Amino acid sequence: MNWLKKLPLKRKITLVILLTCSAVLLLACGVLAAYQLFDFRRTLVRDSIVLADVIGKNTRAALAFQDENSAQQTLSTLQSEPYVSAACLYDANGNEFANYVQSGSGVQLPAHPPAAGHYFELGHLALFHPIILNGKQIGTIYLQTELKGMYNRLRVSAGVALLVLLGSCLVAVLLAAPLQKPISGPILVLAEAVRNIAQRKDYTVRVPAQDSNETGLLTEAFNQLLAGIEERDKALRGEIAERKGAEGKVQSQLARLELLHSITRAISERLDLQSIFQVVIRTLEDNLPIDLICICLYEQNANVLTVVGLGTSGAALATQLGLSREARVPIDENGLSQCVRGRLVYESDVSGAKFPFPQRLAQAGLRSFVAAPLLVESKVFGALIAARKQTEGFSSGDCEFLKQLSGHVALAAHQAQLYEALQQAYDDLRQTQQAVMQQERLKALGQMASGIAHDINNAISPVALYTESLLEKEPNLSARARDYLGTIQHAIEDVSHTVARMREFYRQREQQLALTPVNLNQMIQQVIDLSRARWSDMPQQRGIFIKIETDLAAALPPVMGVESEIREALVNLIFNAVDAMPNGGTLALRTKISGKPARLAQVEVTDTGIGMDEDVRKRCLEPFFTTKGERGTGLGLAMVYGTVRRHNADIEIESAPGKGTTFRINFPVPAMPAGAPAKDAAPFVVPSRLRILVVDDDPLLIKSLRDTLETDGHVIVTAGGGQEGITAFRHAYERKEPFAAVITDLGMPYVDGRQVASAIKGISPSTPVILLTGWGQRLVAEGDIPAHVNHVLNKPPKLRDLREALAQTLSSTKS
Amino acid sequence: MSKRSSIASWFYILLLVVAPMNAPAQSKEYQIKAAFLFNFAQFVNWPSGAFPGTNAPFCIGVLGDDPFSGALDATIQGETIDNHKIIVERSQNVADLKNCQMIFVSKSERKHVAEILSALDSKPILTVSEVDGFAERGGGINFYLAGTKVRFEINPGVAQSDGLKISAQLLSLGKIVQSAKEDK
Repeated sequence: MNWLKKLPLKRKITLVILLTCSAVLLLACGVLAAYQLFDFRRTLVRDSIVLADVIGKNTRAALAFQDENSAQQTLSTLQSEPYVSAACLYDANGNEFANYVQSGSGVQLPAHPPAAGHYFELGHLALFHPIILNGKQIGTIYLQTELKGMYNRLRVSAGVALLVLLGSCLVAVLLAAPLQKPISGPILVLAEAVRNIAQRKDYTVRVPAQDSNETGLLTEAFNQLLAGIEERDKALRGEIAERKGAEGKVQSQLARLELLHSITRAISERLDLQSIFQVVIRTLEDNLPIDLICICLYEQNANVLTVVGLGTSGAALATQLGLSREARVPIDENGLSQCVRGRLVYESDVSGAKFPFPQRLAQAGLRSFVAAPLLVESKVFGALIAARKQTEGFSSGDCEFLKQLSGHVALAAHQAQLYEALQQAYDDLRQTQQAVMQQERLKALGQMASGIAHDINNAISPVALYTESLLEKEPNLSARARDYLGTIQHAIEDVSHTVARMREFYRQREQQLALTPVNLNQMIQQVIDLSRARWSDMPQQRGIFIKIETDLAAALPPVMGVESEIREALVNLIFNAVDAMPNGGTLALRTKISGKPARLAQVEVTDTGIGMDEDVRKRCLEPFFTTKGERGTGLGLAMVYGTVRRHNADIEIESAPGKGTTFRINFPVPAMPAGAPAKDAAPFVVPSRLRILVVDDDPLLIKSLRDTLETDGHVIVTAGGGQEGITAFRHAYERKEPFAAVITDLGMPYVDGRQVASAIKGISPSTPVILLTGWGQRLVAEGDIPAHVNHVLNKPPKLRDLREALAQTLSSTKS
Repeated sequence: MSKRSSIASWFYILLLVVAPMNAPAQSKEYQIKAAFLFNFAQFVNWPSGAFPGTNAPFCIGVLGDDPFSGALDATIQGETIDNHKIIVERSQNVADLKNCQMIFVSKSERKHVAEILSALDSKPILTVSEVDGFAERGGGINFYLAGTKVRFEINPGVAQSDGLKISAQLLSLGKIVQSAKEDK
C-alpha cells in the first residue's frame, strides 16, 4: 500500500471515491449476477421440466404401445428448441426407446437413466423426467439442455454491468474533481507553504487565513508555529554567529598556544643562545604576519640594545633601518626604556612618534611594533621586537602571545646560560678531580719515599758521625786511612743528597723557601752531570749516541730562585729532549743575556728530535698531557711551567714536526744583584763539658752520638726511648744536676720527640732542645718546627752542624 | 448337393436355437395384446352411462376361446381404470357380455362377427378383435401383425358413434379405417 501513501492528496481523494463507488457497484453487480444466475438456472430447470413433461405426455401412447417411430417423431420436434442438444426416451425397464441428438452436437447419451431429477453438468443441464400413465411410470425422458444460452445472457448482463461501472466511475471522477476541492484545497495550500519554507528557510511566510473549520484552525496553528520558529530561528542564528565568533577566537588562541608550545619545545632542546633566538625568529616569521622581528640583548651599563638575532624575511627592511646584526640601538625615553624596565610596549601607530626608535621604524614604512622584554628573575636582559607595516597590527591576543613567548625565550636563554656555566664548572671539576687524583698518587709515592729516606738517614747517621769524628780527632791516622775516610765521607754525602732529591720528588711547593741567587751556568753543568745516566748511558745501551753541546754566556748574572726547583726543571727539559730523540741527535744547552732594558737571563734546551705539531705544542704544558703513552705522567713539562711561573719567568717553545724543539726560559734578572749572604763559617764557641741528654730509639745512633760528643768533651747521658728520656731528665733536674741541652730523635715509638721536647720544657723551660730528624728538611719546609724545639737537625747529622746548633741554642737560651 | 445340405444344416441349427422360443413367442404376442387391451382402456373415455354404477368395475369381456391363457389376467392384476376395478369375463355368448365396456372377440368367433357387432351396435362398448377386416366391418379396433410387431387399426367412426371418445394419441398410433359401405 506504500504507493497509496505517496499519492498526492487530490488523487487520493479521487481514488477513494472511485474505489468506494466501484466496490459498491461491484457488490451490487455481483449480487445481481448471482441472483440472475440462480434465476436463470431455476427458469431453465423449470422450462426443461415443462418441456420434458409435454414431450413425456406426447410420447406416453407411443411408449404404451411401443411405437418407436411415433416417439421418434415426437422427439424430433425438439429441433425447434435450439438449446436442447439431446433427448432420449427410456421405457419402464430403463432401456432406450427413442432418442434425439441435435445435429453437430455429438452428445453421448446415457445408456440408462439415473433417478429422476436434474443435474447441472459441464456446459449443460441434464434432466431426467418420469413419464406417468395412469399413475404408473411407464418410462423416463432425458433432456440435455445447453447452458450456452444462459451464459450468453449472463455475458450480456456482465457487459452491461461493466458499462454501468465505467460510467459510474467516470461520473465519480468528474464529480470528485470539484467536490474534493474544499477538503484538499486548504491542505494543499498548507503543504505548498511548508514546502516553500523548507526550501527557502524563510520563516516569515504566513499561510492566508481560511475557513473557520478544522483546516482554518490548522492554518492558524501553523502560522503560530511559524511565528515561534521564526523567533527561535532568529535567536539561534544570533547564537550561532556568537559561537562562531567565539570558536574563531578559541581557534586562533589554540593556534597561538600550539605555536607557543612548538617554539618552547624547540628552544628547550637548544642550549646556546644564538640557536634559541634563531628558532624563535624563524618560527615567528613562518607563523605570524610580522614584517620585522629581531631579538636584542640589553647592556645595562651602556644603556643600549644590541641586535643578536634577526629574521631573514625582514632582512632588507632591517638593513634599511640600520638594524643589522650587532647593531646597537640606544634606548630612547618613551618606548624602549619602558621595555627595558620589564614592561611590554605596544605602539599601534608610530607615524607620529616623537622618539627616535619609533621614528626610525616609521621611516622604514613600519607602523606598529611590539617590544617584549626578556626577563629573568625580574631582570631584563634583552628584548623581542616585532613590527608590522599596518597600523594596529597587533591584537591584544598577539601582544599577550608575544609576552608569553618572551617569557619562555627568556627562561630558555637563562637556562642556556646556566647550562653553559654548569658545563664549565663541570669541566673544571673534572680537571681538578684528575689533578687531585694524580697528586694523591704522587703523595702516596712521596710518603713511601719519605719513609725510605728516613730509614736511610738513620742508618747512615753513625757512619757520618764517626767518619767526621775520626777525621777530626785522630791526627795519627795514616794517609791511606784519612783518604779512605774522606771517600766514605763523600759517599755518605752523596747518599744523603740522593735521599734529599728523592724527598724532593714528592715535596710540595716550598713557597717559604727563600729565593737565593742561582748561577745558571753552574746549574747547567750540574744537571748535565746529574742526568748523564739518562742522556749518555741508557741510549748507548741501545746503540744510540746523543751529543751534548753547551754554549754558556760568560757574564751571565745570577737570577733569584730556588736552586732545586730550577735544577729539576732543567733536568725535566733534558729528559724531554732525550725522549724526543729516539734515534740520537744533538742536545744543546745555552745561556744568553738578552740586551733589552729589562734584562733577561735566557736558558735554552734544544734538541734535534721529532718535534711537535702545532696542536701538541699548544697543549704540551698542560698537566697530564703526554705523547709518551704509559711511560709519561704528563707532569714533567707542567712542573717546568709551574716552576717558571713561580720565578716570574716565561717559557717559549719553538718546534715543528721533524725539526726539533727549543724550550727557552727567560728569567728576569734582578736590578740589584742580590749580595750573596755567603754562609761563612761563622765562628762559634761551643762550651765544653756540657751535660747533654741524648734520646733515640736507635742504639747505633746513640752510640755514635755519645762517642763523638764525648770526644768533644761533653758528658753524655743516653735514653733509649721518649719516656725513659723524660724520666732521666726529671731525675737529673731533681738531683740538681740538670742537663745543659737535650738532643732527641723525632720519630720514636710511644713517646716521640715532640712530646719529649714539651715535657722537657715543662720541667725546665730554659733547657734547649735539639730535634734530630730524618724529616728535618720537610719540617722546615712546612713551617712545622714543633713548639718547645729550639733547633732541628737533619739526619745524618754533621758534627759541625751539631756543634753550631749547641752553640746557638745555648747562647740564645742564655741571653 | 453339398451347398444345399450346408444351408439346410444352418437352417436346422437356427431352428434348434429358435425352437424353444416358439411357445413363449406365441404367448408373448398375447402378452402384448393383453397389455394393449389394458392400454386401450387408458386412452379411451367411456361415457358415464357406460357403467351401471360408480363403483361398478371395468369389465373386459373375452368372447369366444380365450387366447391369452392368463396373460390378460396378469396384466390387469391390481390395475384400475378411472377408479374402476378391472375384471375379465369370458363367455361364448355376446349377450353375457353386454355389461362389459370392452369386448375382445376371439378368432374363434370370426364367423359370427356380423351378429356380434350388430348385437353390440349403439352400445358404449369398445370391440377389439384379431380377425382381418374386423374394423371395416364395424369393429372398433383390430390387431394385426406388422412383422413381429403387434399393430392395430381403428375405426374411429364406429368407436365414437357409441359415445366413446378415443384419444388423439391412440388414433395417431393406429391405422385408421372406415366402415365398408356395402357391408352396411
